[in-house]
Amino acid sequence: MGKEVARKEKIKDLIDGTLPWNEVKDIIRLKPKDDDRFEKVIEILQEKVSWDDKVLLRISDKLYIVAKGKGERVVKCECGQEFGDYRVNWKYNARIRVRKTKEEIAEVVTVEDGIPNTDFMEMREFYCPGCYVQLGVEVVPHGYPPIFEILPDLDTLYRDWLGKPLEDESPDWFEDRTTKLTEEWGKE
Amino acid sequence: MGIGENGKTLIELVEERERIFKETGHAYGLKDMPLLDSDPVKLMKFQSRLIAGCVSARETGRLIAASPAALLMGELLFMVATPAGDVICSSHGLVGHIQCVPFFIKAFADLNYEENPGINEGDLFSCNDGLYGPPHASDCYLGLPIFHDGELIAWAIAMNHIAEAGAVVAGNLPAFSASTFTDGFVYPPTKSGENFQQHKWWEMYWHRRTRLGRINVLDDKMRAAGAIKVHAIVHEAIEEFGIDYFKQGIKEILERERRQLMNLIKTQAVPGKVNSLRFHCVRYKDQIGKLFPNSDRDWLFHFPLDMTITPDGVMHPDYEGLNTEADFHGNIHPSGAIAIAALGQWPMVAHSSTTNTSLSYAMDYNIPKGSMGNPSNPFAAVSMGVGVVGYQCVPFQQAFSTFFFAKGFYEECFLRGATPYGYGLEGIFEDGERWAGGNFSCIGADSTGGQPYKDGSPCNGALTNPESDHGEVELFEFLEPTQLNIGRKLVPNYCGHGKFRGGLGMGGVHLITKPGQHLAISIFTSVSSECGATGTGDCGGYPALGTVTYFYHGTNMYELLDKGVPYPSDFIEAKKMYDDGILTAESVECFPGDISNIACKDGDLYIWGCHANSGWGDPLERFYDLLEEDVKYGWLTKDVVQNVYGVVVDEDGKVNEKESEAQRKKIKETRKEKSVDTKDWWKAERKKMLDKDIHELAAEMYRDCMTYEKFSKQLKGVWQLPDDYNL
Repeated sequence: MGKEVARKEKIKDLIDGTLPWNEVKDIIRLKPKDDDRFEKVIEILQEKVSWDDKVLLRISDKLYIVAKGKGERVVKCECGQEFGDYRVNWKYNARIRVRKTKEEIAEVVTVEDGIPNTDFMEMREFYCPGCYVQLGVEVVPHGYPPIFEILPDLDTLYRDWLGKPLEDESPDWFEDRTTKLTEEWGKE
Repeated sequence: MGIGENGKTLIELVEERERIFKETGHAYGLKDMPLLDSDPVKLMKFQSRLIAGCVSARETGRLIAASPAALLMGELLFMVATPAGDVICSSHGLVGHIQCVPFFIKAFADLNYEENPGINEGDLFSCNDGLYGPPHASDCYLGLPIFHDGELIAWAIAMNHIAEAGAVVAGNLPAFSASTFTDGFVYPPTKSGENFQQHKWWEMYWHRRTRLGRINVLDDKMRAAGAIKVHAIVHEAIEEFGIDYFKQGIKEILERERRQLMNLIKTQAVPGKVNSLRFHCVRYKDQIGKLFPNSDRDWLFHFPLDMTITPDGVMHPDYEGLNTEADFHGNIHPSGAIAIAALGQWPMVAHSSTTNTSLSYAMDYNIPKGSMGNPSNPFAAVSMGVGVVGYQCVPFQQAFSTFFFAKGFYEECFLRGATPYGYGLEGIFEDGERWAGGNFSCIGADSTGGQPYKDGSPCNGALTNPESDHGEVELFEFLEPTQLNIGRKLVPNYCGHGKFRGGLGMGGVHLITKPGQHLAISIFTSVSSECGATGTGDCGGYPALGTVTYFYHGTNMYELLDKGVPYPSDFIEAKKMYDDGILTAESVECFPGDISNIACKDGDLYIWGCHANSGWGDPLERFYDLLEEDVKYGWLTKDVVQNVYGVVVDEDGKVNEKESEAQRKKIKETRKEKSVDTKDWWKAERKKMLDKDIHELAAEMYRDCMTYEKFSKQLKGVWQLPDDYNL
């Protein structure tokens, strides 16, 4: 039953956002969940993208962590644009537009009373430099570090939780390296 | 000789609960579960008996209650707990409070109540003191010990959110308080009754220490009656299953639930770290004045949630970087912080037949001592910490959704930047009658955020209660006769935009009618529109918007009613009528967040807006047919559809695909023109940080949060600031 309700075609529609709500509810109610979900999803995503790098994880609507040969794991957009090592917050390799004034924010916050206080808050939009899709939005005080939304522990996932260890396992894969990049930038 | 099993004292039972789990990794050390293994159906039947008892207690109890939140909205809860304080099962209702019960029972042990005043059959113990389990004074707990042959074998626990807490600000959501002495009628664990009956003196406290004594006494009787009902059901279960089965069964239920929870995490999540956060602004400056000098300032709050799921599936929420405790209403003790955070965890991970404390075995929190989530001052105000620190439940839902998304369980992503809103009232009618009220109805029916596969929905979710309910306006008008509801609607364009947009926010308009000698209205919100609801949107969608409050004083509304002019039904319509000169007012006040004691007179308008939820994904990816529907039903206006979503809708309500393609291309071009490489932006921002070119409110937040080593290191690392940097 679970296999049928969550068969590959249905999951593909779920990913595309086109699965009718009634059928999504059937998948929500699955107990237990389909045990091959992750494998199915990776297969669907791999078929969906136009490039060949191996998808390790999807971390956002358009962003994937992919294996590039042996020893490289990078963030990549659906369009093919790469953002570098996944241990560095991808936002540092994106394009950014900061909306600092009420007028600028009013273009996207379409009820005036909902606009944050621009004396100390700002809105940041992060775009893919390749296709200019909007990848992330932050509403934060001035000077707040860009938020590193997810740093997965890929080796534990593949080795211990899925039983399929990755070839290039290393203890330092689960390590935030963002400040290493800013350190380099600081020296320039 | 103690009251527990084998003569153990309550102190020993509580200590054993924590120690054995640490030693074995299993609740109550249950490596094997013989009842479950030998006859799982019987165990389920046993559990169902207990759940039915809790539900029955709730349904009968609420008929005794008088506060509308309990009576109509179901804001109450009944539970069965182990002698050491683990909740085994509960009724429907305010399920977050389950997490407080271990703290509540531990308080009886720590205070050695077993010795004095003694814990006996038929005793009723009441408490609403944040230091001992309950989150704040509005959440009133009652514990009834259940004995069998002289041995403590369980607790019946009851709680509800009362309508008036007797605080310095009227109502049940006091958004101003400087210390526990202004939090209201706060009572530490108290033996308030014996022989299954509350004492008369206890009733007098409600009459004398709160503004709604008559209603609060009935709520108190409701809690006692419900707990006694649970007590009876437990004894029936013992009769049916036997005492040995009962004692073993309640432990096995908890351990089974813990294992299911851990299994769910390993199935649906990925191990790793997720950061989710939000900000909130509270303004006391120039409102509190000389009376509370230590509170006479404003705050920008930083609520980080850094959650790691370790290889063993245990979740480690880290709040390090949270603001320091202070003399404001936003503090909360850890029991309350964990309880309310659980409201964002239950919908994501608890899918069994009942709620229980298994979550506490799967979570390992860091809430730094001295922060507003773990105040070191035992007299710290905690009147609305549930809505300030407590609303970390929202980042929790975001964090779980991120973990589930990565694993491919998109259907389990459930996002929302909840924007709870409520108000309190205090007045004196023309004939001198003093009255008060607390309105919880907006909190009972929030919207939801956009999900990876569909839009959020309006008015259909309550963070506090899985059974969302807006209550009934007619009953509220009966209890709050000054508040004539002349408008309520979903507000067009009031949402976070995205490929799947957030549920639309709601607006309401009250005409203040015959308040008599005096009326003051106080507002509480978790989400000041100065900061928005969450620090990030989801996958390119925009975050939820904050709440809004308007007071139009001295209006011509009665004249407009006589003329038959259409009433304003939300804050936008009212503003337009005011700008057009149709609605006149002697003065207009607008507040983006909390405000206390705004004096109102006959004919004033009190107008609110809340629940504009978060969007998911890039708005430029939104499907044409969804936008056609948005325009058709008036959820979004054509200009917004064109400017935000890049879609042109013609006069017949159909999308012009050619023009829309061009419009979306144009918006992408604008993105290209207006954006820079993050690296270039970083260089400019770094200079500002080095120059300390930052607004004082934000600087104060950074100064405070940099007292934590972790945040200080992060801030200095990201901007490459010198080690001795400070703002």
